[in-house]
Amino acid sequence: MTSFLETAWGRAMWNARDHLLDGLTITLQVTALGFIGAVLIGLALCLITMYIKPLYWPARFLVNFFRATPIICQLMWVNYVWPPLFGWPTSLFQAGCVALALQSAGYLAETFRAGIEGINRGHIEAGRSLGMPAHLVMRRIILPQAFHMMAPAIMNQFMVVIRSSTLVSIIGVADLMHWGHHLSAEWFEPIGIMSTIAVFYIVVIGTLSSLFKWYSERLRNRYV
Amino acid sequence: MVTSTNTSDRNVVVKVVDLHKTFGTLEVLRGISLDVHEGDVLTLLGASGSGKTTLLRCINHLEQPTSGETFIDGRPLGFQIHASGRRTNASQTSINALRMEIGMVFQQFNLWPHMTAFENIIEAPLRVKKLPRSEVESFATELLKRVELLDKKDEYPARLSGGQQQRVAIARALAMQPRVMLFDEPTSSLDPELIGEVLGVMRSLAKEGTTMIVVTHEIGFAREVSDRVVLLHNGMIEEDGPPEEVIDNPKSSRSKQFFSSILH
Amino acid sequence: MIEQLASIVSGFSLFWEYKAVMLPGLWYNFLVFFLVVVFGVILGLIFSTIRLNTNIAIRAIAAFYIGLFRNAPEYITLVWFLYVPALVLSKLLESNVTFEPLVVAVMALSLSAGAFYAEIFRAGILSVPKGQIEAARATGMSRTLTLRRIILPQAMRQMLPEFFNECVSVFKGTTLVSLVMVPDLVYGVNLVSSYTGQALPLYTGIALIYFFIVFTMTSIAEKLSNPWRDKTR
Ligand SMILES: Nc1ncnc2c1ncn2[C@@H]1O[C@H](COP(=O)(O)OP(=O)(O)OP(=O)(O)O)[C@@H](O)[C@H]1O
Ligand SMILES: [Mg+2]
Repeated sequence: MTSFLETAWGRAMWNARDHLLDGLTITLQVTALGFIGAVLIGLALCLITMYIKPLYWPARFLVNFFRATPIICQLMWVNYVWPPLFGWPTSLFQAGCVALALQSAGYLAETFRAGIEGINRGHIEAGRSLGMPAHLVMRRIILPQAFHMMAPAIMNQFMVVIRSSTLVSIIGVADLMHWGHHLSAEWFEPIGIMSTIAVFYIVVIGTLSSLFKWYSERLRNRYV
Repeated sequence: MVTSTNTSDRNVVVKVVDLHKTFGTLEVLRGISLDVHEGDVLTLLGASGSGKTTLLRCINHLEQPTSGETFIDGRPLGFQIHASGRRTNASQTSINALRMEIGMVFQQFNLWPHMTAFENIIEAPLRVKKLPRSEVESFATELLKRVELLDKKDEYPARLSGGQQQRVAIARALAMQPRVMLFDEPTSSLDPELIGEVLGVMRSLAKEGTTMIVVTHEIGFAREVSDRVVLLHNGMIEEDGPPEEVIDNPKSSRSKQFFSSILH
Repeated sequence: MIEQLASIVSGFSLFWEYKAVMLPGLWYNFLVFFLVVVFGVILGLIFSTIRLNTNIAIRAIAAFYIGLFRNAPEYITLVWFLYVPALVLSKLLESNVTFEPLVVAVMALSLSAGAFYAEIFRAGILSVPKGQIEAARATGMSRTLTLRRIILPQAMRQMLPEFFNECVSVFKGTTLVSLVMVPDLVYGVNLVSSYTGQALPLYTGIALIYFFIVFTMTSIAEKLSNPWRDKTR
């Protein structure tokens, strides 16, 4: 600890620890809200494409549009175009969350569809032949299996959201990356500061992805 | 095996009256009528495409018949007759209630892969019949013992052999204590050395007087355990009688042809 | 809102008006894309081979590289490469070393992409059952022949869709280079937007342009990988 504080960059980061912690909080919030938003929007888009015929093509277009536009375009688009057009989002923070959510919603919509369509019809019929009502078949047979099948893709998408969350700083959201960048420039100590920030992200993301991988493996082992 | 000499003094568990089923323009069932009495083992034979699977699926309404009626213990399945004599489709709830009385075993086992063998068995009694857990669990244990799989209780289906999966599937159907068991080619997707263990379980069920309708290509088994053999041809009943009559002395030339083709 | 939609549509003409900025910008996206795919695939091949080496120490090197760059967000990699290597070299050589933004961008994105390609290649090769390789070796096929005739054709089939997906991601990632001052299309639009004050049509237009390009790429990728996909089933 002392040697960390003896370096110029160490002192700079220690003195700005409140900012860094605030930034970390913002990063966590943006990630969480972006991911939850993505799940909800993705589920809605998936159900629309599967069950509401007249809205099939509009929903398909949105899915493809969200999937195919680079995140940085979406950030700028939501941040500069939406407020004058729709009067919303009203803050940079909101714009960041919305853009992250849209980006992943497209992927998740596809994931959900594949998961639901991938259930073996025989498993459903086995339930019905035992007298299970439709809601029970959905809740006990379709959804758990679909979830197990989709879990790796969903968790992967969560990693995408964390990684993309660093980009909300480009529209001015004061997340962890923003403060790292800011302090590097202010103290002209990018070697220490940017490296620390980078290592922090790598360790967090690496740990999460190992956990997710372990969990997916465990689920998969039941099926093979 | 025939336990009571006269069929007419035993209850009719499954009654099928003039059942028709068409898929688009394809007429798969063309007027099937059947009475299955309590304790009967009925084997359904017939060439591929003759409608055996469709008949079983219509009996428990996995497939909606185009016309005709099914009764389980005298209760109409899939429709109701009002006091005015008007006939309407039954609610899903009442269909589900009657389905509990019909156990079905599929060719592809259809065990739920995300649940262990034990969980597969207790699922429906627990959540559909809403029986107390302790009762369900002890019955499930007993059933697993009976199909000789108690040691595989906590395995997921993917870790079981086909024969073991099918025995769990039979236990799962039995757990609802159904009035009748339907088997659709239960051994057809099994390796030859695994067929015996499944037939063994079915044989013991038959001995205990379980009412069963079995679709199978195992002629030896059919001859040994059935009280009655029904031969389907093109969606109609071609022969119907005790095995020694239908299998060994078929009447029509079509049936003779069928048996000579599968016996050799 | 109708008014604003009309202004967006009429504002699309800005793209034509400022084509001198926009077109070279798009060219930069494709240039970066091309370079990153080439360097990324090379890195990917090298590190997937190393990763499959029998020596644990050598394997660990590849695992470290792959873990590092697969887990680092691209933006952080970019910013790190923007500042750190030049500074370190300047200190070491005691002279003022600087890198072209384009060099920084290609370096950072290639290292990132390389890690992803390495994993894709490795998974593809591992997807071939060991027994088949043994069977090939048992018939007297040499190592390289086994690789060429048995492993690669099957591995290709397995990894082609993933490979194309990664290429599409690389293209989407090229838009990040604007953040380290490479004058790509996003950079151009930012310039024109601050100059004309017409954010609405410009940012909508650029989203549509990228959508169109990426969607086309995805469709082509699907077409290309489909004939491979079904052969074994
Ligand atoms: N859902 C369906 N839609 C359209 N046609 C169907 C459907 N299910 C069955 N059929 C057709 O009905 C006919 C009878 O099928 P069924 O499965 O009842 O025959 P089966 O006697 O069980 O034959 P197998 O011994 O091959 O299992 C076949 O020609 C089949 O193609
Ligand atoms: Mg059949």
